[in-house]
Parts: sequence; structure tokens; C-alpha cells
Amino acid sequence: MTVAAGIGYALVALGPSLSLFIAVISKKPFLILTLLSSTLVWLISLIILSGIWRAFLPLNSTTWWPFAILIFTSIASQEGLRLLFWKVYKRLEDMLDAFADRVSKPRLYLTDKMQIALAGGLGHGVAHAVFFCLSLLTPAFGPATYFVDRCSQIPFFLVSAIIALAFVTVHTFSMVIAFNGYAEGNKVDQLFVPSVHLAAGMMVIFYFCSHVYARPSCSVSEPYYVQ
Amino acid sequence: MESSILESIGQEIIGVMSPVSLCMLLVVLLVYSLSDSNPFSSSSAPIRTAANLVYLENPSDTTAQKLEGALLNALVFVILIAIVTFVLVLLYYYNFTNFLKNYMRFSAFFVLGTMGGSIFLSIIQHFSIPIDSITCFLLLFNYTIVGVLSMFSGGMPIVLRQGYMVSLGIIVATWFTKLPEWTTWVLLVALALYDLVAVLAPGGPLKLLVELASSRDEELPALVYEARPTVSRNEGNPRSTLGLLVAGVSDSGSVELQAVSNNNVRRDGAENRRSPEYTAIQVRNLENVEGERNRDEGERSPLVGHSRERYSSDSNSSEYSTVIHNRESETSVDEEMSPLVDLLGMDNEREHERRDSVVASRGIKLGLGDFVFYSVLVGRAAMYDLMTVYACYLAIISGLGCTLILLSVCHRALPALPISITLGVIFYFLTRLLMEPFVVGMATNLMMF
Repeated sequence: MTVAAGIGYALVALGPSLSLFIAVISKKPFLILTLLSSTLVWLISLIILSGIWRAFLPLNSTTWWPFAILIFTSIASQEGLRLLFWKVYKRLEDMLDAFADRVSKPRLYLTDKMQIALAGGLGHGVAHAVFFCLSLLTPAFGPATYFVDRCSQIPFFLVSAIIALAFVTVHTFSMVIAFNGYAEGNKVDQLFVPSVHLAAGMMVIFYFCSHVYARPSCSVSEPYYVQ
Repeated sequence: MESSILESIGQEIIGVMSPVSLCMLLVVLLVYSLSDSNPFSSSSAPIRTAANLVYLENPSDTTAQKLEGALLNALVFVILIAIVTFVLVLLYYYNFTNFLKNYMRFSAFFVLGTMGGSIFLSIIQHFSIPIDSITCFLLLFNYTIVGVLSMFSGGMPIVLRQGYMVSLGIIVATWFTKLPEWTTWVLLVALALYDLVAVLAPGGPLKLLVELASSRDEELPALVYEARPTVSRNEGNPRSTLGLLVAGVSDSGSVELQAVSNNNVRRDGAENRRSPEYTAIQVRNLENVEGERNRDEGERSPLVGHSRERYSSDSNSSEYSTVIHNRESETSVDEEMSPLVDLLGMDNEREHERRDSVVASRGIKLGLGDFVFYSVLVGRAAMYDLMTVYACYLAIISGLGCTLILLSVCHRALPALPISITLGVIFYFLTRLLMEPFVVGMATNLMMF
């Protein structure tokens, strides 16, 4: 039963990505490579971030502003990363076009470009879901479940899976929107993406605050380490 | 609408990466399910293998003791492998082909039968699968026999052969994960270094082997995974190669990937039609024409006399025969078998096959040892946490990708372990020391971004 629950949590978080992967990405090897490299880039950025923040851990989990700063800096760095990714992608696109000319194939279609962006975004999203949700799911396969006091009605794993799903969606499609915005010079799209990301982060903070301060009696549980 | 180039670029890389990924995934699953089952009993009696001859790690030892012992273990193991590889080269040099071949059959049979059998047994025990011993024995016997046949003789579907290669890698890697932790890490680093030396340094055994096999125009006498396309999946359009892309970008004229180990036999060299920019690179032996790749799209490989698989000619037009490196020697070293035995045994099969098919050498080739040690790294990471598994997987795959790209630039046999293992070890410790507290602290507060 708990195995089924664990698989279910994993599928909640990653199911849509999985179907997207099978339907779109897996047929084109280049997209798989894009996905992998984008996942790696996200992982590296996460490692750098955690290296910076490592000194300040563990954060006091009853105050909200350290988390707000952390999330703000993280989102800022990831949006910077997206710009970097775009620069790299531009060069890659030129290379691909040159290559296509050489083998007398058609150049990249608009859909191709969007698929590359989609694969890049999916890489970011999958990395997010994997590291923030899936890697904590190991206890969910065991004989118990876990509740945080902050949300005592729903198992922690389910909450994190749902939040991860939301962020996967944000990451995946914001990359497409952003690349399209960059390509067309569309300011609205370019600004839309970071603001959505920021809004999502702020929602998390808001959620955190509302529970910490609205129910002070319900103290936040000790940080739970998987190990 | 003509198919875009997205579908054709990178197929070779994916063709190598997917079996590696599969192997790692299965090893991780095995390690997870089997180590969960008896966390106490299994670790109680550490096994003594060729990889920890000198020092048997004890959890109560001090760090210095562990480090010293692990270093000694790794040193002894690497020396053993080097000796075995040299013996193999000698035997191959003096044409003990039949001996090598039969020995390889025997050792493959032995690995599949005993080591695989014990893994099957523990699976059966762990999941309480109701099966009687006779049926089990029969199934195991059939599995083993089919495995030996498919690996050592032609005429078998390539999928079966590849599948048995992967399963051989899984079995050996699962055994290697039973080594103690410090020994595993030091051993991996030592093997990466050894790999670097053996493939690249003049006089390195693997380099000698590659040269020897290529000068004889034979298959590398080793267990090598061949990423040959079984079916041309892209609808009939000639495949464009990554090497072409890289070459085009970097203006390096020759795109060809040299087989790392000896299989530089790319036959396509004959066909390149316009070679102005491509210099035919002779990697090591002059006789062997390394295929120079013509970059134009329609290149196709001469599939001469290739008996085993239907290659539609277009499908492998762009294949590189690159043996990244064969070192099965390590793979088979295990407690029951002397490393020598395995190595020899495994090596033989190659020759056998190559008479069947000239084309057997095309496609990127990856030594089975690479499979094993990638999987060992990931399996060891799986004993800590899932997060480290993902990090190590990504690191290894990206290292493999880097190696393949280097291959297309360097035109020579390259060791596949160093980059991947280095990245994997670095990412493992970064993840474990830096990222995990951060991510766990964030995620348990439901803080995501």
C-alpha cells in the first residue's frame, strides 16, 4: 500500500513531465540531450546556491524573512541563468542552422525552436521536482507517512508533490515563453516569466507566513532530515 | 514537411547513453531493494574479493586507517588488472585465439550462472517469489546458455546481445557495490586514472591491444557494448552525425571518431566522396583506414557481408565505430573468479564475431567495464540517498557526453572513465555536503522555488 502511495506521489509530481517526455522529447535525440544538459545546468546552479547558503543553515523556521531573502535570491539567480541559457541557445541555433545548410536539410522550424525551449524548460522543471520532491520521497515507500504541523491534514509528501508539480509547470512553460519573448523582442513576455516565477515563490512564502503567524500555537516541526 | 535535423543529431550519443542509463537504473533498483531487505545481515560478513585483498574495511577503524587500507586495496587491484591486461595482450599477440575464446565463454557462463544466480536468489528471497528449485535452476540455466550463445556467436539478434551485455554489467556492478565504502571510492578514482594511462600512454596495455587488433583488422578482443542501430528509426533519412556537427562548428576537418580501443575499423572511409576538408586520420596503425567521414549527408556505410543484423544502409551511415574503451577486465574480477580468467574469457568473443560481420565494428562502442563502474558509482550513491543518485547520474551522463564529443574531435580511442568518474565523484560529495542539507531544509519547510 505504501509503495503504491509512494509511486503515486512520484507520479503526481512527475507524471505530466513524463508524458510530455514520452510524447515530444523522446522521439528526438537532440531534445533528450538538451533536456539532460539543462537538468545538469540547473543542478549546478542549485549546488552553487546551496554552497552560498550553506553557512546560514539551518534557518530559523519560525521567521519568514530569511526564507524570503533566500527565495528571492534563488529566483533572481535562476532568471539570470535563463538569460545565460538563452545566449547559449542562440549560438547553438546558429550552429544547427549552419549544419542544416550543410546537409541540405531545412533549417529549424519555429516548432523546432519551441521544442528545444520546451526541452530546456522541462529539464529545469524535472530537476526541480527530482531534487525537491522525489529525493525526499524515499520514506514514503516505508510503512508510515509524515505530516508537518503546518499542514496537518495532508501528508507532507502529497503537499510537496503538488507544489513540485506546480513548479514543474512553471519552469517548463516559462522557458518556452521566455525564449519566444527573447526571439521576438517582446518585452511583455520577457517580463512575464520572471514575474510569474517570483509570484510563485512569493506564494510559497505567503503560505509559510500565513501558517506560522496565523497559528502560532502550532509550532513548526523540527527540520526533518531524511537520513 | 521534411523532417528536421533535430531528429537525426545525437542519435549515436543517445544510443550509448540509453543502455548506460538503463544499466544504472537497474543497479540502483537492485541495490535499493536488496539492501533494504536485510540491512544488518548482509553487511555482517564482508566478502573478500580481488578488490579488497589487502585491507578489510571495518566501520570502527579510524579515517586514516580506512584511507590507507583503501589506497592499498585500490593499488593492488589496479596492478592485478594491469597484469591481466598485459597477459591478455600477450595471448592475443601470440594468437591464442581458441584458448581465449573458450575461456571467455566459460567465464561468461560462470559470471551469469553463479553471480547472476546468487542475485536472482536474493531477489527471490526478498520478494518471496514462490518458485521451486527445479524451475529456478532450469530458468537460470536457460538464461545463462542463451546469454553465452548470444554474446559469443553471430546470428543472434543484436537486441539480445545488447541486453545480455547490459545484464552482465548489472550483475558485476551489483557485486561491486558490496565493497566497503572507502574502498569503492578510492578504487573508482584509481581505475579512472588507470584507464587514462592504459588507453592514452604509450605502451599502455589497452592501447597496445587496440593497436594490435586494428593492425590485424580484427575486432577488439574484449567485451564491448556496441551501439549499433538495430532499426533505422528516422524515416529513411540519412543520419547526420554529431561529429559532423562538431566538425562543422569547430572547423576541424576530420570528423571521424576513432574507435577508442582498436576498433577503428570504420569502413566508411572508403566512401567519403568529398574529402577536401577531411583528412583521413590514421589513428594508430597505418593499415587501418580510419574512416574519414564525409560530411555530406548521403553517406552510407558499406555494409558488406554483414550477416547479422539488417542494417538498412542509411541507418548506420553515420555511425562511428568508437570503442571508448574496453576494460572488461575489471568487471569480472570478483571473488570467485580470478581476474585473469574473466578478462581472458571475455576478450575472446570479439574475434569470433567479427568474422561474421565486417560491420560489427561500426557504431560507438563502449567497454563493458565502463558500464560496470558507472553503475558502481551510482549504486554506491544509492546507498546514501536518492539525491546523490540523481546528481551522480547527471554527472556521469554528461561526462560520457563530453567524452563522445571529444571522441569526435580527437579521432582516437579515448578512455571513457576519467571524465565521468571525476565528475561523478565531485558531484557526489558536493551534493552530499552542500546540497542535501540545503534542499532538505528547504523542502521540509515546503519552500520551493
